Amino acid sequence: MTTQTTRSSALPVPRRNLGTAAAKTLRRPQFWFGLMVLLPILAWYAWFSFGPLLRAFWMATVKYDLMNPTESPFVGLKNFQQVFSYPLFWISVQRTVTFSVFVYLGTLPLAVFVSMCLVSVARGRDFYQFVIFLPVVVSYVAIALLFRMLMDPQTGQFNQILTALGLPRSLWITGPNSALPAIALIDVWKGLGFHVVIITAGLLGIPEEMYDAAKVDGAGSWHRFRYVTIPLLGNTLLLESVIMVAGTLQAFTNGEVMGCAGDSCFWISRLVYTEAFTNMRFGFATASAFVLFIFILSLTVVQIRALKPDWQY
Amino acid sequence: MSADEIREKTDMQKAIVRPAASVRILSPDRVGRIFPHIVLIVLLFTSLMPFVWMFFGSFKTYVELTSSKTLLPINWTFDNYVQITQRVGFPRAFINTTLVAVVVTAATLLTSSVAGYVFSKYRFWGREQLFTVLLSTMMVPFAVVLVPLYVTIANIALADKLAGIVITGLCSTFGIFLMRQFMESIPNDLIDAGRIDGAGEWWIFTRVVLPLAKAPLSALAVFTFLGNWDSFLWPLVVLTSPENRTLPLVLAGLRSLYWSRYELYAAGSMLTVLPVMIIYAAASKQFVRGIAMTGIKA
Repeated sequence: MTTQTTRSSALPVPRRNLGTAAAKTLRRPQFWFGLMVLLPILAWYAWFSFGPLLRAFWMATVKYDLMNPTESPFVGLKNFQQVFSYPLFWISVQRTVTFSVFVYLGTLPLAVFVSMCLVSVARGRDFYQFVIFLPVVVSYVAIALLFRMLMDPQTGQFNQILTALGLPRSLWITGPNSALPAIALIDVWKGLGFHVVIITAGLLGIPEEMYDAAKVDGAGSWHRFRYVTIPLLGNTLLLESVIMVAGTLQAFTNGEVMGCAGDSCFWISRLVYTEAFTNMRFGFATASAFVLFIFILSLTVVQIRALKPDWQY
Repeated sequence: MSADEIREKTDMQKAIVRPAASVRILSPDRVGRIFPHIVLIVLLFTSLMPFVWMFFGSFKTYVELTSSKTLLPINWTFDNYVQITQRVGFPRAFINTTLVAVVVTAATLLTSSVAGYVFSKYRFWGREQLFTVLLSTMMVPFAVVLVPLYVTIANIALADKLAGIVITGLCSTFGIFLMRQFMESIPNDLIDAGRIDGAGEWWIFTRVVLPLAKAPLSALAVFTFLGNWDSFLWPLVVLTSPENRTLPLVLAGLRSLYWSRYELYAAGSMLTVLPVMIIYAAASKQFVRGIAMTGIKA
């Protein structure tokens, strides 16, 4: 490894003096500093990041023997076959995708709308953003317990509000049909502030001349939104979309702590957790996690292909 | 990097910190001015109200919480807090969580800043490739490494130990990415000037580079601390004995221990959430700015 500063690397090193060049490198304080920094960090990555990932590949292709892991027999893709023929897996896929779709459709338009309002106000923007962001920083477990209280079918405040408005009461998370929308609602509420911050930053990055130009051309507010804001927000929206899809498909905590009716929030991450640490099927659990990985990865590629703007400014 | 590029970058950062007075997307008439405020005030209300309910609910008795329709408690009681601290090991969990969050945050700040510095300011063979490989680990869902990482921890006898949580949090790919992005904007001349004056690399790093990186460092600190304070899945897998549990685990355990005892849920949640809210209130600027930064750069 040769470590040099950006500056001095501009000087050409004569080829025949390779030996002296190496000696020179070894004398540089930058070389030693770089080495002292990178070695421990790479060691950590090897141990706690790449290592486990490689072990995951291995685990997904063996029949994992808990007593004697090194003797686990290789079974090829059999774990994946089992995953695909396991009814609970397909239930978890269906629940996860439905939840994702609810959260995606609930959050993205709302976040864009709120961000537009936020950039339109001159006064109090920081304060609004501060409060809207509050649910984001609070622990999911606390949120889940809080909403269990609010969503209690008999005593919860939500049903009291519905009754006061003359609307029918809901079973919320304890109803087999209402559980998934209810938990998605919590997710939208909790995540909104995060997405608003990103989109607001994106909106503020749009040059004001663009709007002026559109106005001169006689564009109304809708046309300005449709043909200036949305296209110029392209990169931000792509980022948002990717973050949201990957995040919701990996959801775990709220479903685990909430305990929805039946299997209505039995998501893929919970399948992985249950199979691994309740049923002790390490190979199966890791194989199903890989299926989730591939699913997220392909959706990410599709989103980039479909949403990547073909311009720059 | 040319001076223009630096100026452009700092302009961009300024735009995030101090946005233009008003970007007129809606029409500038009276409706266009008041309408956003109405929307935002409604949203303010929906963001805050659940916490307000939780706060007052934690001072109500079970009977009152489940029957009364008033927001404020009629009979204020501190009994819920007494019960929660005495029965389920809350104080212990509080200490455990603080310990993990503080140690991991300190370690992450150190590793992210030095690695970010080396990756942005040093030139060596394979730098970009190495960085890409590190970044790619961010795409792997945690579920994939959940089991193998647990086996790794168990192999070094750290299962059911707080150290098992800490050791996996020593480095943060996101942190390295954030710090590298920021340090790209520090002019090389500053660093070279230090070298010409005969300063050592560590001295340059701590006295020249770090003071300039206060903003992203504080953002990263808040992120990491809160992330670890709220972390649930990994502690759930690693920590099994009651005395090692962190706050989210104890809190989640309430549900099976005390079925539907909402007044206890509320008190427990309040105790967990309070430190978070205090930190957020003190550092919200850095936090929001940190997120905006990652959004802009990505």
